Amino acid sequence: MQLFLEFTFSGIAFGMVYAAIALSLVLIWRGTRILNFSQGGMAMFTSYIALIVINHTGNYWVGFVVALACGLVLGAVVERLFVRPVENKPPLNAVIVTIGVLVVLEGLAGIIYGGQFRSFPPAFSLSGLKVGSTNLGVSRNDVFIAVAVLVVSLLLALMFRYTTVGLRLRATAFNSTVARLLGVRIGRVLTLGWALAGLIGALAGVLVTPSTFLFPNSMDQIFVFGFTAAVIGGLDSPVGAIVGGLILGLGLSYVGGYLGGDLIALGSLAALALVLMIRPSGLFSTTSVRRV
Amino acid sequence: MSNTVMTDTQALAVEEIVAGYGGVPVLDGVSIAAKAGTITAVLGANGAGKTTLLRTISGFVRPRHGRVLLGGTNLTRRHPEDIARAGVAHVPEGQGVITELTVEENLRLGALARRDRAGRADALNLAYRRFTVLSERRRRAAGTLSGGERQILVIARALMASPRVLLLDEPSLGLAPRMVAQVMDLIRQLRDDAGLTVLLVEQNARSALSIADHGLVLNLGKVVADASAAELAADVSLRRHYLGF
Repeated sequence: MQLFLEFTFSGIAFGMVYAAIALSLVLIWRGTRILNFSQGGMAMFTSYIALIVINHTGNYWVGFVVALACGLVLGAVVERLFVRPVENKPPLNAVIVTIGVLVVLEGLAGIIYGGQFRSFPPAFSLSGLKVGSTNLGVSRNDVFIAVAVLVVSLLLALMFRYTTVGLRLRATAFNSTVARLLGVRIGRVLTLGWALAGLIGALAGVLVTPSTFLFPNSMDQIFVFGFTAAVIGGLDSPVGAIVGGLILGLGLSYVGGYLGGDLIALGSLAALALVLMIRPSGLFSTTSVRRV
Repeated sequence: MSNTVMTDTQALAVEEIVAGYGGVPVLDGVSIAAKAGTITAVLGANGAGKTTLLRTISGFVRPRHGRVLLGGTNLTRRHPEDIARAGVAHVPEGQGVITELTVEENLRLGALARRDRAGRADALNLAYRRFTVLSERRRRAAGTLSGGERQILVIARALMASPRVLLLDEPSLGLAPRMVAQVMDLIRQLRDDAGLTVLLVEQNARSALSIADHGLVLNLGKVVADASAAELAADVSLRRHYLGF
């Protein structure tokens, strides 16, 4: 029971990180039908910036905020400089461009910061919370990870639902031609979408890096799991991204805990295959409904 | 049709437009002068260039030659979103509603192109007073509306921006005859009550000419007739060759 609790809580914490990456991918996919393969690389890069700020200021929260702000800017810059020219071109062009951005970011990180593993401080203690003398198997930091991702997702949902900016974002995602006919400047809207995705990715980066160490490829595996979570959820559903992240996080935590860590990557593949066999468009996708 | 001379009463002028998607131009020297507060019907068979004409006016197709003028302002080669903000509302054929958004969200979206933010709420109230069917369904997803209700929604949404010119692409397409009459009646009301300038593209020539002041017939990208609606409707040979009624 003790172990089960531990695996569950750790699964939720990692699941929320996958959910955040998945959410950032979904945001971009909905707006531009582009898969941003550089999402993990961007998160890695902003985590380096966060680490430098934390080391200089001695304050975790300054680094945290700077990382999110840099994620916002980096997302916008990548869209404007590199992705804009290949929007409305064959999809493969955008795939190659985003992979190119990933390679450049990882290369730059290696050149600037070196390839060695660096430890990254957590926001809160990593030791398990206790009720009386029973260890719950969940740390303050695990709770923080889950709360942080939930709060950001909730704020996003509120913005999408109740603001005119959100209305513009949704209209552009659903039907960009009609949005333009109604005077929506979709160029700005798409940049904003990438910026928000950059922010969420940066959040995932600073949240997960205490568990993985920081190095130029540190987000690669997290990105793959986040991508898997997004596909499980349906790739165009924000709710699906979060649920997909949690399913994958929990599943992989149980597989790693009970069957051994070597099987985690295989477990991720199995989860993906299973979902795609049962519901090829993902658990929460509305695409098939929309095409009727 | 040579160069069009702008006058005060001309809301929209299209001058000698040559435009298309590939090598062969779809529009080959088309000119239109739509007077303010009138309905101009643009008629012709499939492939005559009617939709391309509207897409050129609203900026989705860039003309190789010619100009589009709104009032005295040159709109040629501006982006669709800027042309919409300048006061041209284009209601595209068929799937114009954003089905995933609610009726009210569709309407609010239409008002975002307004210059006066304060007018947005008023426009919404006016739309609900004018179209009670939308008021009753305001919280429902637009995808749940019937074809006729959707057509009313896209027109209502276009009006949210208080446009100077309304471009309508086949508003009668796919509607039951009773709905067609209702939609035509609505377009007529918009001209009579609100003084709106309308460019009405239709295959249903009889319905369109019944409410239009002026009409043009396009054939293979050229204007083959340009006269008052009454004259066009009375021209038997034109009707037989191009209008099909």
